Parts: sequence; C-alpha cells; structure tokens
Amino acid sequence: MASIARTFMAARPAMLRLAPRAAPIARTPFRTFSSSRMSLLRKYTKDHEWVDLSADHKTAVVGISEYAAEQLGDVVYVELPEAPGDWIEQGDAIGAVESVKSASDINAPIRCKVHSVNKALEEKPSTINQVPEDDSHGGGWIAKVDIDEAGVKQFEGLLDAEAYQAFVSTVDEE
Amino acid sequence: MRPLRHLGRRPIVPPPSSSSSFTIPITSSRQFSESAAANPSNKTQIYVSRSTDPLTNLSLEHRLLQTTHPDSTVLLLYTNRPCVVIGRNQNPWVEVNQARLGPQSAIQLVRRRSGGGAVFHDEGNVNFSVTCPPKAFHRDTHAEMVVRALKSLGEGAARVNERHDIVVDRGEEGTFKVSGSAYKLTRLRSLHHGTCLLRSPGLRSISGLLRAPGETFIKAQGVDSVRSPVANVGVEPAAFVDAVVDEFRRMYGGGGEVDGFGDEVLEVEKVREGYEEMRERAWVYGQTPRFVLSTEATEDDPRERPAVPFEKLAEGFLHDLLSDYVPVLTFSQSKLYIEAKRGIINNLKLNGTSLESPSIVGASIWEISDWATRLRDAGAEVDDVQEVGAWLDGVLATQP
Repeated sequence: MASIARTFMAARPAMLRLAPRAAPIARTPFRTFSSSRMSLLRKYTKDHEWVDLSADHKTAVVGISEYAAEQLGDVVYVELPEAPGDWIEQGDAIGAVESVKSASDINAPIRCKVHSVNKALEEKPSTINQVPEDDSHGGGWIAKVDIDEAGVKQFEGLLDAEAYQAFVSTVDEE
Repeated sequence: MRPLRHLGRRPIVPPPSSSSSFTIPITSSRQFSESAAANPSNKTQIYVSRSTDPLTNLSLEHRLLQTTHPDSTVLLLYTNRPCVVIGRNQNPWVEVNQARLGPQSAIQLVRRRSGGGAVFHDEGNVNFSVTCPPKAFHRDTHAEMVVRALKSLGEGAARVNERHDIVVDRGEEGTFKVSGSAYKLTRLRSLHHGTCLLRSPGLRSISGLLRAPGETFIKAQGVDSVRSPVANVGVEPAAFVDAVVDEFRRMYGGGGEVDGFGDEVLEVEKVREGYEEMRERAWVYGQTPRFVLSTEATEDDPRERPAVPFEKLAEGFLHDLLSDYVPVLTFSQSKLYIEAKRGIINNLKLNGTSLESPSIVGASIWEISDWATRLRDAGAEVDDVQEVGAWLDGVLATQP
C-alpha cells in the first residue's frame, strides 16, 4: 500500500504530525480478547500492512497500519478476499479498499491462505480508520490466514515495529 | 481485479464507428509497443487514442499502469462513444436506469477499475488520465493541470472543488461540474483519470440515465454516487487535447512525441485480455457489493417504500364467526426480499418464505431475463407472480 501512503500527504500535513504513532503497538488490553492472543510478533511491510504471526508459526492475522489508514482518508468500502481461499503470494492483492474515489489494493504481506475474514468490515468499513491495528473482535484486521514455511521465512524479512516507525518517519520527511 | 470465474470467450465485435471526433496531434506513426512503454528511459509518455471503444481505452490505460516504468509519468487522452461508467464498488441497479441504455440506444454500461461514482460519456466528453509514481501523487495535482488548460482556452471560471472535481462558476446560474475524477492506487503506481464535458450533446439525458428505478428499494454496500448539476465547458475537443498536452509537458518536460493508438491495440495480448475481462457480465454485474432489495422497510433500511406495480386490489375471504365465508376486497401484494452478493442471489423471500430452489439460490442475477418464469420454476406460489416478475425484470435489468 505504498500508493496509499501518499494520498493525503499534501492535504493533511498537520494531521500527520499529530498522529500517535506508537499507540497501536502498546495497545495490549485488546489482545486479551483476541483469538490470536498467542501472537508473539507483529511485523510490518513497507507497503504498510501488518502481520501477526502465531506462536506455532502456522497461522497469522493481517491488516493495514495506522499510518496507511490515516493516509487513505475515510474508507467507504472494504472488499474482502474469499474465505477459504487459495494460496496468495507475497505482494499479491488480498483485498481492496475504497476511500475518497480511490480504489486501492491491500497486498498480502507474506505468502498465505485466507481461512476467515473480518466480515464486520462489510457493514462498518470505517472500523479500518478507527482501529486498523486491532486484531480482536471489533477491530480493523482484514483476514486470518494459514501460512507455510515460505511465509514464515518472508515474515522474518519484514520490519519490526521500531524499524517500521523509523521507515514511516523517513517517508514523511521526503 | 481478481480473476473472474466465468471467462467464456466471446469474439470481440468491432465497434460501430471507430473514428474519434477530434483531430489528434499525434506526432508518431509507430504502433503501440509494450516494451517501449516499459523502457525506463521513457520518463514522460503521452498517448492520444483514436479508439472510441470505452473498453479498449480503459484496457490500454490499465496496461500502461501495469507496464510503464515506476518512475515514469504517463498522460493518456481518449473519447468514448456513449456509455455509462460506474465505479469499481458500485451497484448498477442503484446507479443506472438500465432500461434506458438498451441495445437500441446503444449506450454501453461499463464498470471501471478505479473508485468513485457513475458518469456518462459521449463524443463531446474528453477523458484525461495521468499515471505517476505514488510519491508524486495528490488528488488535485492533475485536476489543477486540466484547470490551467481550460483557462488557457478562455474558461477562466474553472476551479477544483473540495471533492477534487472541476467546476465552473456561472454567476447567478450557479456552479456546475464539468469534470469528475477517480483514482486507482497500486503499490508502484497511482492513476488519476477524469472526464471533461466539452460539447456533450447528451447532457440532458444524463440525469435520467443515472436514476435507477430500483434505487428506493435497494440498500447496497459500496459506493453511492453524489449527484451534481453538470455543464459543458464549450471548447473544441481538439483544442482541449492540445492544451492538456501543453500543460502536461510544462509540468514534466519531455518534448517527446505524442503516440496514437486505435483498436489495433487489442492485438497486444494483455490489452485484449483486459478488454475481455471487463466485458464479462461477471465483472460488470458480478463485482457488485452485497445488497438487499426489499419491498418493505427493514431494520437496516427503514425508508418508506413507494407503491409497487404489483400491488393490486384482490378478492379475498373473511372467515366469519358463524363459519360463513364472506367475500371481501383487500389489497394484496407479495412482499419481496432479495439478498445478493457479487450479483449472486443468497436468499429470496416471497411473503417471508425463502425459495430454496437452485434456480434462485446461487443464481446470477445477470443470467435471469424472465423473472416470472424463474420464480415459477422455483416453486413460487403467489397470485401476483407475473406482476412481481415483470417488476423485477425492470429493477434488476441487465444488458445482454
């Protein structure tokens, strides 16, 4: 979703500076109710997707970052992938969102196979704007996926929270 | 665009007329070449289409988005023959009066890959499209470019509004939209395309075309169009094309050539594949987000419903306490409820009872041309099945 990142750059600079960047990572209370409470690790892509890997390395949850959600502007529709679906390669579309007349793809952060989707987003797409990094019930996560060894390997190559925040701040300064 | 399930191969019928209404300042005589488009040294590319087929133009536009170098900036200008173009996540049965399109009037219904609302195109409308790197993208940048082009042609009142559309202020008459925009954003590329009404003869028909008979009965997920009063700018299409090319060159340099292409561009395999994919009804209708059509107010959609034509005065019987049947006249009307996702029926209820037949559940709306017969086949046992069917033929109409 690098594309999305620039969408509102010139229009909402003040918003960007004020945005609480570290908030989602620190938001542990949500995890208590999460089906992925076993989750050990969250990593990010440079395209602004996040992925939570389960402890057993068999499943993961994916979504888009707070940064991406801000850049998108008001999300009016989320097109979810089919569940259960086929294997999706890293970087291929796993869904799509529409905001401010723009259709944007959401890409698979790692090779994965969708086993369930966040149906609540169909009724309430704005959840993506409110809690994009929340993987619990009522959160803005996109899909729960199965992963294989290739996906785990790709996961290792992604950015951890700190590296992602650093990346985002360089994007902003450009 | 995800792969479609029903990619039957129908031959491409050549469009009735393929000549553009304006003379094009094409300076190059070479054929469209994917490898030239993808060449990193071609940082600025300008294309003007001779084709008036909306699918040819949209398909080439998409191919340029996929193949041009991520650092390049690409301008494309094209004019389509009469068509209605809806956004990627819209519902055609909410947006378009499909009975007015018809084979006779030959107005094609098209679903594009970008977001946004429904627009009407004809030969008096020129479309501009700029594909650039995400880093350079802003929703207003190229609308402003077109505004400068319009100003250079004497339309001083043109400006970009808060919806990223181009409007003209016409004093006491009010403000009119002359150009609407939509965007497609991918990892490597950002596409902004827009219409520009110059001398559209079909202006008066727009509001009728974009008003669907089923609108008041349907609650749809996805994107609703925002209605705006529209006007023609009143400049010649050829002059507009020249002026936009000039402004584009001013921004991105490149005294480069203007490449032209016509329908022969469909010989390029991927352009042709894109064309065929967009032509499928599984795309035009099957990409429709979930919706509910109901003749009664529902919890999710409490709007009061207008009368439906199958409401009729019917004879009934009242069971009276003395065990006599007394004939009375009552209003009888079947209550209809349809739930569909991706244009496929999930549930259809008549008077609260779901029809479980596979000729309804799992059926694609676009494959039903005679609803009364289909409902009877599915075992519908209501008196007014003929009327219900005839009504549905209208509100869920599709182009063949």
